[in-house]
Amino acid sequence: MSIEVKNLCFAYKTQADILKNISFRLKPGFFLSIAGPNGAGKTTLLNLLSGLLKPTAGTITIDGSDLRTYSVKELAKRIAVVRQEFIPVFEFSALQVVSMARTPYVGVFAFESVADQRAITEALEMTDTARFAGRTLNQLSGGERQRVFIARALAQQTPILLLDEPTSFLDMKHQVGIYDLLKKLQLEKQKTIVAVTHDINLAAQYSDTMLLLAASGGYNFGRTQEILSAERIEKLFDVKTFAVQMGPKRFFFPIGKYARDNLS
Amino acid sequence: MNDLLTPKRLIIRLLLCLALLFVVMFVCSLIGTQKVSLRAVLSGPGSEPGQNTDYDIFVRVRIPRIILAALVGAALAASGVALQAILRNPLAEPYILGISSGAALGVITCVMLGAGITTSVKLGVFEANVSVSVFAFLFALGTVWLVWLIGHLAGGSGITSLLLAGVVVNAFFSALIMLLTSLLDSEKLRSTIFWLMGNITEKDFSTLMVSAIFIVAGILGLFTISQKLNVLTFGVHEAQSLGVNPRAITFAAFVMASFITAVAVGLSGLVGFVGLIIPHCVRLVLGPDHRQLLPASAIVGAAFVVFCDTIARVIMAPEQFPVGVITAIIGGPVFLFLLARYSKKIGYQR
Repeated sequence: MSIEVKNLCFAYKTQADILKNISFRLKPGFFLSIAGPNGAGKTTLLNLLSGLLKPTAGTITIDGSDLRTYSVKELAKRIAVVRQEFIPVFEFSALQVVSMARTPYVGVFAFESVADQRAITEALEMTDTARFAGRTLNQLSGGERQRVFIARALAQQTPILLLDEPTSFLDMKHQVGIYDLLKKLQLEKQKTIVAVTHDINLAAQYSDTMLLLAASGGYNFGRTQEILSAERIEKLFDVKTFAVQMGPKRFFFPIGKYARDNLS
Repeated sequence: MNDLLTPKRLIIRLLLCLALLFVVMFVCSLIGTQKVSLRAVLSGPGSEPGQNTDYDIFVRVRIPRIILAALVGAALAASGVALQAILRNPLAEPYILGISSGAALGVITCVMLGAGITTSVKLGVFEANVSVSVFAFLFALGTVWLVWLIGHLAGGSGITSLLLAGVVVNAFFSALIMLLTSLLDSEKLRSTIFWLMGNITEKDFSTLMVSAIFIVAGILGLFTISQKLNVLTFGVHEAQSLGVNPRAITFAAFVMASFITAVAVGLSGLVGFVGLIIPHCVRLVLGPDHRQLLPASAIVGAAFVVFCDTIARVIMAPEQFPVGVITAIIGGPVFLFLLARYSKKIGYQR
């Protein structure tokens, strides 16, 4: 399912535009990373794509129809959202959390059908969460919890998956684990994936296309390796970087003032 | 897939809860200041009125009172469950949030305008009395909105800001209630004060019938949105991403919870903490799934208030005191325990 964004603008009530005239087209089955400095509007853009916010100008088209023409329920069958992992108030088990993904599909009394149960089981197995499905979320680690939320998004059976900084509180192993899982979903399930991230290097490794948002309102969109250059990143994030080429991919390390003194 | 809720599992568990309720109701109907022999009751009313006092006490006094207590308990527990879900706060409860006081203020306002407190809730009889319950409902609804607004302004999503708002609104309404009560003549005064403390007294069958219909309808209404309440406990944004319209569901739940609270307050005044204790206990046993939590809490809440009312009837016999005193004595410590437990680390996505 394709996502097309045309001349998208957004401003919070009385403030200046946070997003200005953004246009891009994401083909089905592609992995897009959105990066940029704090305050550039990454999460705002994600909330616009998920229909939580309404654009002040411009359009977002999902599968040929304007986002605004979808009902809440219909949209939930097309777009799933994974936010930063958190511990909910009530102690739902991982299985119960994943089964809530079926809410847009179930009837009035909301009991899961055989098809619903199949979707739930498959999601648990793909994300390797079945082994702790009976435990409550507060008994899980941050990485495990995030996998449960990804499992829920998977059980929602949507062609599009949006993620807001899915690995920000996780250690290296779990960061890679989550991105491996996302890549698997892209390749095996042909999901269109849009992930907001702070980690340029994870984005460089996993995503096909990148959208770099600048705090000034400008943006760059294109294939990951064409978009990522040392000059552009230094300008965008206002920090000196050290670039390393590894095979076809380029990685970037920020260099602080004191580190620079030592290196020179 | 072992612990997914199926209709069959739900029905079996609810039947078990119902069995518990009937046992409690039956046992409590035999306990009282006046000893009642079951054999005498079963022998029927006798050929002329007053011949079989055991039967008269059992059928005309005990049974209606027990049904009333059960209705109040079911309404308050279900209301507590719904409020906890939409406010994402396990400490929300109609009494603590001031909703009961709001409804009570509505009733007293209406009493000041003319209706008598003892006849005030004959919902079935279309006299001036219908206006009492309408007043109670509107005041309850207004209070929910007020508490939510103040809690929102005072600190957004924090678990305690909402409770503080409830405490403040509660204090303010209590002052207004006291003011209005002090203006009442001495004849109405005692019954009003007793009613305010949460008093369950005998009501006629038509009142019970109409109240029962309202309360059961409200609980069934809440049950139809129970899966959406599950989703809503994760926050407004999460709910929307999962296909639930958060505004519509929140509004529907607010209205239905306020409605059954208002009916319960009209019946028995301020009975506190039932909506806190019961959902918490049921959650410990059956888990947080609202499709199960809501009906199970309603049934267990009914049994709990029947039990508390029986204590209130017999503990200082022949004196009777308001059931609200008993529930508050049990509920206060439970509230403090939950407050300590939940203020640590919880969260939700906006």
